[in-house]
Amino acid sequence: MELLDKLQILADSAKYDVSCSSSGSSRSNKKGQLGNAAPAGICHSWADDGRCISLLKILFTNCCVYDCKYCVNRVTNDVPRAAFTPEELCEITVEFYRRNYIEGLFLSSAVIKSPDYTMELIITALKKLRQEYKFNGYIHVKSIPGADLRLVYQAGLLADRMSINIELPSLQGLKLLAPQKNAESIIKPMAFVKDQIQGANELTIYRKKQLFIPAGQTTQLIVGATQDSDLTILKLTSELYRRYQLKRVYYSAYVPVNDDSNLPSLNTSPPLLREHRIYQADWLLRFYGFEARELLDEGHANFDTKLDPKCDWALRNLGCFPVEINRAPMEMLMRVPGIGYQMAQRIVRARRVAALSYDDLKKMRVVLKRARYFITCKGVYYGGVNIDSEDLYPVLAAQEDPKNVYGQISMFEMGSFAK
Amino acid sequence: MIYMTDGSFEGILTAVFEAFRRKECPEKIASQEPCQLTLGTEIREIETDREKSDRVYKAIVEKMSREAIEILYRAYLSEHPDVGTKIYDYIKIGLKIGGRIIYYLQDPDVLWIHDRNQKVLKEVHLFLGILRFRKLRNGIYYARYEPDNNITTLISGHFEERLSNQPWIIHDAGRDIYALYNTNETVFLHEHIPIPKNEADKKFEVLWKGYFQSTAIENRLNPNLQRRFMPRRYWKNLIEKQNN
Repeated sequence: MELLDKLQILADSAKYDVSCSSSGSSRSNKKGQLGNAAPAGICHSWADDGRCISLLKILFTNCCVYDCKYCVNRVTNDVPRAAFTPEELCEITVEFYRRNYIEGLFLSSAVIKSPDYTMELIITALKKLRQEYKFNGYIHVKSIPGADLRLVYQAGLLADRMSINIELPSLQGLKLLAPQKNAESIIKPMAFVKDQIQGANELTIYRKKQLFIPAGQTTQLIVGATQDSDLTILKLTSELYRRYQLKRVYYSAYVPVNDDSNLPSLNTSPPLLREHRIYQADWLLRFYGFEARELLDEGHANFDTKLDPKCDWALRNLGCFPVEINRAPMEMLMRVPGIGYQMAQRIVRARRVAALSYDDLKKMRVVLKRARYFITCKGVYYGGVNIDSEDLYPVLAAQEDPKNVYGQISMFEMGSFAK
Repeated sequence: MIYMTDGSFEGILTAVFEAFRRKECPEKIASQEPCQLTLGTEIREIETDREKSDRVYKAIVEKMSREAIEILYRAYLSEHPDVGTKIYDYIKIGLKIGGRIIYYLQDPDVLWIHDRNQKVLKEVHLFLGILRFRKLRNGIYYARYEPDNNITTLISGHFEERLSNQPWIIHDAGRDIYALYNTNETVFLHEHIPIPKNEADKKFEVLWKGYFQSTAIENRLNPNLQRRFMPRRYWKNLIEKQNN
């Protein structure tokens, strides 16, 4: 088989993994060697679906012994199969890297023979890349569910980031759609990896730093393959951040690739708006000081399609508003709909130089489309509508642009967080 | 009164020095490109003087901050025709309010410089990703690009660190500015050098194009989103966006 065909088959099989980030690591280059990692992460291109290409996202092989119903590579599917040799994989990675196509490698694999066998193949390839090809660029490695923890550990010493995908947000979903996997085979390595990261950090005090996935671990949840509500997903997410200190949880709107009575039908389009809302909520959890239970509860288990999650929260908590732009603390400014981290920071800094009027905000290009209903400037309210949810809901809901293009929020838009 | 400089950063800082020394308030600090003049406008030619510009440079660092001078320098690299005048206005405000100037965005002149700085930073970050090297037959990696801002000196350090064991050339084709790296040090040139363009190794370019196509999910095609991140004017030098 031609290398190009292999590459296309194995990229095609890997593309449903949505993680693309290359941030969080600062592996440095050494003399005579190749590459380093940029802490802020770098996007190298954007594919026709608008998703960033940062890493060469590829499967080692798509030959799989499992039969997960949602997956394109399930054993019972008749799709072209291929496998790289470690040399081919190393060569493509290095040659792409030298031409600045990519930030590094994202290596995953279908389960060939057994989880351990697959994990060993991955480790062989990564060792070759780091040691023979002297590659210091970014590596994201997938941990194969069910692989021996000693293998997981070895892979962690070679990679910058590791992920193990939960995919299905509830146990019922897992039993129904991925009967050969169990929750333990996912959660156990996650807990193990968390302990290893902590261990590596403690060791640093005594001797030279041993790198064990310096950019931490992540996971992915599929949205819309099962009946799980946004609340179920968000609760799971906040547990993962709290208990396992994940760097990120990714969400993937389910793209129907298989026909099965337990799955949405093949002509269902991926729930992109829902995925977008969950991403917005995820940012609120990680950077805006929100708790999952503030955003959703049993009586309100799914996000409003017409309002972003922060707006939705604000309308249910109008008692907190309006806030005075010249006095409100940073945390409160960040809770104002339409004001993001960067704008809140801009306001807090500028008001130290001189008190801000509504006109000043406009001059500073703070987006006031939504924010104006929730703030006062020097005591004056510019919303022009009563601050009550019945009056505000239609005004705010009408602002959602139907032509809006949904994508993952990029690190660059969030600028300062990345640094 | 208009001050004419040679267009260098030092030239602009020299003009600022002269404006303070002569207690004049020039309405413009321009570079030597021809500009439309109203009748009777006085012109003062400013000769770039390192000593004078250094004094202004130091005053900015001391009275404002190191960050302020960096912001001004990056704004300068935008090569906007008004940038000399705006730098002058910024310095006047900064000498009054000090280090807080970088946050004083309710002022339109400060915001103007802030915006230029942001645009330059944004383009630098973008090109760390979308600069494309082609491997020439002589083993040199050659990257041609056409940035809006004059950012070659700002991006070359990144590649010096990352691609430290391969010789490369970064070529700003619009300005004919080159960064040449020989695995040891980088030299900048501002003159035309002939580059044998067709002599590039194709194998991995073909693989990269194939990968680029395969990694997109057909059910989620979103060209608007793609263009928002990667504006069309940059496609010309992107291997994956060439059709042949």
